[in-house]
Amino acid sequence: MPGYRPEPDRDSRAWWERVARREFAVQECDACGTLRFPPRAFCAACRTEGWRWREVAPEGEVESWIVSRQPFVPGLRDPYLVVMVRLKAVPGGLVYGNWRAERPPEAGERVRGVFTQVDEELIVLDWMPESCIAIRSGENSPAD
Amino acid sequence: MPKRLLEFSDHTAIAGVGYTPFTKDSGVSTLTLACRAVLAALEDAGLAPDDVDGLATHRVGDSAPPTLVGPALGLADLSWHLDQFGGGSVSHAVVGQAALAVAAGLAETVVCYRAINARSEFRMGGTGRGLPASFEVQYQAPYGYVAPAQQFAMYARAHMLRYGTRAEHLGALAVTQRANAAKNPRALMRTPITLDDYLASRWIAEPFRLLDCCLETDGACAVVVTTAERARSLRRPPVLVSAAAWGGGTSHLSCDDPTVTAAAALAPRLYAQAGLGPGDVDVAELYDCFTYSVIVQLEDYGFCPKGEGGPYVASGATALDGALPVNTHGGFLSEGYVHGINHIAEAVSQLRGEAGDRQVPGAEVALSTAQPGYVLPATSALILRRA
Repeated sequence: MPGYRPEPDRDSRAWWERVARREFAVQECDACGTLRFPPRAFCAACRTEGWRWREVAPEGEVESWIVSRQPFVPGLRDPYLVVMVRLKAVPGGLVYGNWRAERPPEAGERVRGVFTQVDEELIVLDWMPESCIAIRSGENSPAD
Repeated sequence: MPKRLLEFSDHTAIAGVGYTPFTKDSGVSTLTLACRAVLAALEDAGLAPDDVDGLATHRVGDSAPPTLVGPALGLADLSWHLDQFGGGSVSHAVVGQAALAVAAGLAETVVCYRAINARSEFRMGGTGRGLPASFEVQYQAPYGYVAPAQQFAMYARAHMLRYGTRAEHLGALAVTQRANAAKNPRALMRTPITLDDYLASRWIAEPFRLLDCCLETDGACAVVVTTAERARSLRRPPVLVSAAAWGGGTSHLSCDDPTVTAAAALAPRLYAQAGLGPGDVDVAELYDCFTYSVIVQLEDYGFCPKGEGGPYVASGATALDGALPVNTHGGFLSEGYVHGINHIAEAVSQLRGEAGDRQVPGAEVALSTAQPGYVLPATSALILRRA
């Protein structure tokens, strides 16, 4: 789908590498155990640097969504749905993704992440209703 | 509260405002726009360029900094300048920091300006432009989620889901502000609209329609900040800076409630500085990159209970004859988008009693605000008062 590709930084590169292996991980603070996203060197709760990756199930609840109908991104002309999801593993953590179901989301709906193979090099995390079995992984977005 | 080292409230003033015309294609550089607005503001104040010892602006790589504007106007020895990185969220911090520099004696006469070719050269909407420089954009760009209209639409829907805010509420705001713009000769869009016009306007990013979105505009605006004492001897009625506050919030990738903005934390500090409360505000110029940003600020600045911004607007409270006239110039939605400073300039016009057909009778206290802290987790605001 994307006209834009992610541009990882030194804090996030390893996270994207895990996504490329279809793994969803957040950081766990060595000192206080707080889970956090997005990847950062410091724990915002206890301000220490030690941490490890913690693989978690990509699950959450729908906080909001939009249907984009203006060609904001070169190459993307058709409407597409972007969902904002509150992560189950990180209560303050909000993530985004394209919606991979035939119907629109519902407020507070429980959702699960599904990895989408965009092209040979890029895999991203999208979202679908928890009730759906993740069999559509590997397809392009519904808008394509 | 931190220990107070210098008197600030009402010790500085805005002594002049200046504009270029607002257009879709200025045909000139942002440097030219900046120089024109700076000179217009000085002319309004009755000051000469040689009186200026400070310049301040903000930008996101899209405009002329003070180090360019100063030499271009032959200002050889500025004792203070500010080139603040940032968009609308820091628009009011620029004037606040200029007032602080004047209060501290670092400069006596600072011209704050914002000059952008936001339509013909650098569209904030992102159309035809690369990705913004942001660590967080990598988690959004792959999904085609990059433009402010998309981001604010996302927050607007969160507000709708949580509080029952409806399209008719957003529409009432667009209609009200257009009615104000009809009375503003400077406004780009002056033809009145109805709620049906709003509802019929095309989708941009659901739940936003075209008429939820501000006008990407070419133009510049400037204000002159000096000491209250000096302002009293100048050409125009001085408008005192009663309070200036800025503050940060939480990232939009990690927050507990996206329907609460950084303005909620800033507002008590701002009001305390001025010794005033929301009930004392006669006119409010609230950052309106999109309709929703006004709705959420009406709540976070304490004009109505949380969640009731939509019904508050639909009740007529924010109209020129309402309890709290809001965006009397038409705002970014209808006057033009100069990234925040035209809200400050309009507040000055209202407090001077010079706003013509859109004048709020007897306006003495104005609140003017920056983008309330979405996208970049920061905001800023001013309370201005008639001297």
